[in-house]
Amino acid sequence: MSLTKKQAAVIMAKKGCLDMLPLNLAVLPWGILCGSLAIQRDFSVLEALLMPMLVFAGAAQLVATELIAGNTPLATILFTTFIISSRHFLYGLALRDKLKHQPLRWRLGLGFLLTDELFAFSGERKSLRGKLRLIYALFTGGSFYLSWLLWNIIGIIAGSYLPDLTSLGLDFAIAATFIALVIPNIINIPIAVTVVVAAILSVTFNLLHWQLDLVLASVLAMYAGYWSSRKIEKNKSKHMSREARS
Amino acid sequence: MTLLTIFLLAAITFFTRYLFLHPSLPVRLGPKMEHFLSFSAPAVLTAIWVPIIFVQGGELNISPQNPYLISATLAVLLALKFKNVYLTLGASLTVFALLKIYL
Repeated sequence: MSLTKKQAAVIMAKKGCLDMLPLNLAVLPWGILCGSLAIQRDFSVLEALLMPMLVFAGAAQLVATELIAGNTPLATILFTTFIISSRHFLYGLALRDKLKHQPLRWRLGLGFLLTDELFAFSGERKSLRGKLRLIYALFTGGSFYLSWLLWNIIGIIAGSYLPDLTSLGLDFAIAATFIALVIPNIINIPIAVTVVVAAILSVTFNLLHWQLDLVLASVLAMYAGYWSSRKIEKNKSKHMSREARS
Repeated sequence: MTLLTIFLLAAITFFTRYLFLHPSLPVRLGPKMEHFLSFSAPAVLTAIWVPIIFVQGGELNISPQNPYLISATLAVLLALKFKNVYLTLGASLTVFALLKIYL
């Protein structure tokens, strides 16, 4: 029995939503926090809704909400958001060759949905190649968008009844999600090197209060992974040529 | 005023996400660059989660009573052993909540 194109697309869409489900649920506390914070910081309901609908970001949304409420100069708000969001340049670069030849509607759609979480699902060599894998990405990213919106809306509705949630440590849910995504993917030495270097540098730069701590730590860690991978390959080929000679 | 700010914020987050997906941008990635970029997911995601665990209020917290540290250790061990997202998340979030209440 062979599948029609439509049946195959439906299967991929379902698989996308199902694979993303744990992340969609794990982001609930963070979404409620963002929604309720906007209301508690005197945003109107429309403004609070537009944040997850259009800005669609976790940390950037949270920080911007606090800055707007604190009457921070516009330029500072925009610059800070740009810095927090600048890690996405790396995601765009990494997916460039897979997506640049796709029609505009795919690029705009997946570009808009390109969060940390969607990117974490796009690392495999084959991902985003072919229509069915694009549909898969659309539904992983799309279901994450709708969940984020829904949790924000609950936060907006409950906002005035809830206490200030910012000090409860809800960011642990983010950390736990990324642990669950990163740790099982440490399948070789170069990735292990990347993770260890990223861990040490990100904490160091964070303590030094560097604005670009996240991006700088990431790029250096990527280089460490790349470098160790090249080293290992070179050693292998040396061994092979030695064996061939003897 | 806040509305305008929100539209500008949306433009910024979209710009950072979309920019390098644009075909006419004069950026060519060679195989070396591709290889380098293949490490971006573990690098960026780790650089996000590790400071959440170890830095609180701008200071290093490596005390064994740090609820973030205890719960994250559990999450890492579970992720290594079972590779199941639901188990890792469910167990570590529950332990974290309990620690927050009782510590």
